[in-house]
Amino acid sequence: MKLSTLAMAIGAMVLTSGMAHAQDKTFNIWWFEDAVSAQGITWTKALEEFKANHPDVTVNFEQKTFAQLQASGSMILNSDQAPDVLEYNKGNATAGLVASQGLLQSLDDAYTAQGWDKILNEGQLALSRYSDVGVYGSGPIWGISTYGEYVSAFYNIDMFEKAGLKVPTTLEELTADFEAFKAAGVTPLALGGADTSGQHVLASLAYTKADDTWVQNYQGLKAPLDTAPYLFAAQTMVDWVAKGYVSKDSTGIKDPDAALQFTSGKAPIYISGTWNLGNFSSSIKDFKWGQFLVPTPKYSVGSTGNLWVVPKGSKNPDLAQEWISLLLSPKYQTEQANNGGVSIAADAATVTNPVGQNASAVFKEIADKQGLGFYPDWPVPGFYDVLIQKVAGLLQGTLTPDQFVGELKTTYDDAQANQ
Amino acid sequence: MADAILNPGDAIDEAAYGPRKRGAGRWVVLAILTLLLLLVLFPFFLALSNSIKSTVDYAANGPLSLPTSVDFTALKKFWDVADFGRKLLNSAIISLVVAVFGVLISLLNAYAIGIGKVRGSRVILVVLLIGIMVPQESIVYPLYYMAKATGLYDTQLSVIIIFAVLQSAFGTYLLSSVLGSFPKEIIEAAEMDGANRWQILWQVVVPVLRPSLMVVGTFFFIWTWNEFLIPLVMLVSNNNQTVSVAMGLTRGQNMSDPTLQAAASLLGMAPTLIFFLIFQRTLTRGVVVGAVK
Repeated sequence: MKLSTLAMAIGAMVLTSGMAHAQDKTFNIWWFEDAVSAQGITWTKALEEFKANHPDVTVNFEQKTFAQLQASGSMILNSDQAPDVLEYNKGNATAGLVASQGLLQSLDDAYTAQGWDKILNEGQLALSRYSDVGVYGSGPIWGISTYGEYVSAFYNIDMFEKAGLKVPTTLEELTADFEAFKAAGVTPLALGGADTSGQHVLASLAYTKADDTWVQNYQGLKAPLDTAPYLFAAQTMVDWVAKGYVSKDSTGIKDPDAALQFTSGKAPIYISGTWNLGNFSSSIKDFKWGQFLVPTPKYSVGSTGNLWVVPKGSKNPDLAQEWISLLLSPKYQTEQANNGGVSIAADAATVTNPVGQNASAVFKEIADKQGLGFYPDWPVPGFYDVLIQKVAGLLQGTLTPDQFVGELKTTYDDAQANQ
Repeated sequence: MADAILNPGDAIDEAAYGPRKRGAGRWVVLAILTLLLLLVLFPFFLALSNSIKSTVDYAANGPLSLPTSVDFTALKKFWDVADFGRKLLNSAIISLVVAVFGVLISLLNAYAIGIGKVRGSRVILVVLLIGIMVPQESIVYPLYYMAKATGLYDTQLSVIIIFAVLQSAFGTYLLSSVLGSFPKEIIEAAEMDGANRWQILWQVVVPVLRPSLMVVGTFFFIWTWNEFLIPLVMLVSNNNQTVSVAMGLTRGQNMSDPTLQAAASLLGMAPTLIFFLIFQRTLTRGVVVGAVK
């Protein structure tokens, strides 16, 4: 008798606590953008509004690290610990992989129901779509990006003015500016020859000789590598080293050190991605700086940013979609540009921060002409490391431009034939 | 191990007679040691000087210059963003429990292998050594699935179990070779007095072995503290994570913040450094005494 009363009491307790849980709705959200980056600042503000809009929901935010999601993203998404919505790295090896493993919810219906189709164009969706084998460009929509990124030349306006130079609009003018700085005793280009910016410079130069067919074939692994654009890029880079436009010891340095040459006012030009904007905005106080695109006919190195994805196990997909809509709203797109970020759909007239205004306008220009050329390492798994190694070899002179493109072609064609 | 004990007397002789042979050689040794000391201290200095630099200062003057003013922004930012106090507690709990259980398992194993003379003890030791040598990357997936199956995924207990076992493999190897040369006379005497195996372990072996156990435990603590991959994979929630995992906050996808990194490394290594300074005596004494026995 006593035992059964006890059992009933426990049963009642379990029941009430279970009901209490049901009423107490929780929404778990993760991202890994740095808290002081344009995205981090904007998303934090948006989350405040989101919480205010849903007083009945407990919102749990966790600041994740890129390393953690890179190492164990698919393991987390395949467990009960997955959040309701999270930022996930774009690309075949990351978002594509978990999409193909069936760990995400498709956002196809939400795309029209939430009106995202009126904000984003098809070109900005290339990295949202993944096929059933996880290759981007086609298939259902698995994630939505709310910002963009592109590679451009950061330049020291004070040094340009002092040397009486203007912003180049062609490759010849760029070379002429290099020559003028060199003649004045300044090594013009800061280059992380042993890091990512090396291959970004290479790809930017290759895109000066690339047309639609080449870029689509290259990124889509559709044909054996046509090496002409890369050969031109490699010859140009070797030429730059020979003429002293690039410091001899920059062949072995990393991006943070190359960026340091720019921020400390030693080098007037540094070619890298818009992810530097936040750091440069807050840490450069001694001179004025700006951005210009490496002059190409159409394509620039760049893409939409990381994706917001909704895991399969998300208990609140409706709230997750509402969150994405909030970030795509004009209010937070403008906010993001005002924080120096690259917005996809900001109202240019209301943006007051010149850095974000310019970056968002440039991104819109590239995206509108369908000129997002993506990154050179994307088509082939492991190509990132191959490119870093070969570009370093090229700059150090252990590889001639011909050998360089030959080795790239071997790797690329191998992957192309075996896909 | 046994070789190391043979000539402690020689060292004393040298120390006693040394002062007579004063000469240039001593200065050379001193110079080399000073140089080595500076080399060791240099990274600590870099971490300290860069963590108290402002980002503007770093961007203008680079990593090697002295800070123009003392700025605690980076240290404070890392402490807040990482919720570092919580991470310290997590790391301390995990490392301490691993150290205690790791030593306990090692001791029991080593008692069986070293003194108990289990059949095939060599084979067991080799198998255990393989356990140490396998790269963690290759066992992460099986561990993940086991943790999920047992409901231990995203709990500190999973990390504690994994490291207590992994590290006791090394501890077993080390302690069994120490116990292999344990003087039989002592054990025979204890048996004569009517002690059973359990009593011999706790009342005879452990007291003699205590310094070695302290050393092993200290190493387990430091190693566990510095572990990265398995805590990264196993501990999903921020509230469960350890110090070394929190360090990842300073490295973004494309960007890293050097002053924040310096602050993180300073805060990250401070606890192990303090721990080492406190237990330094135990460590050195333990190594010597352990060897003598």
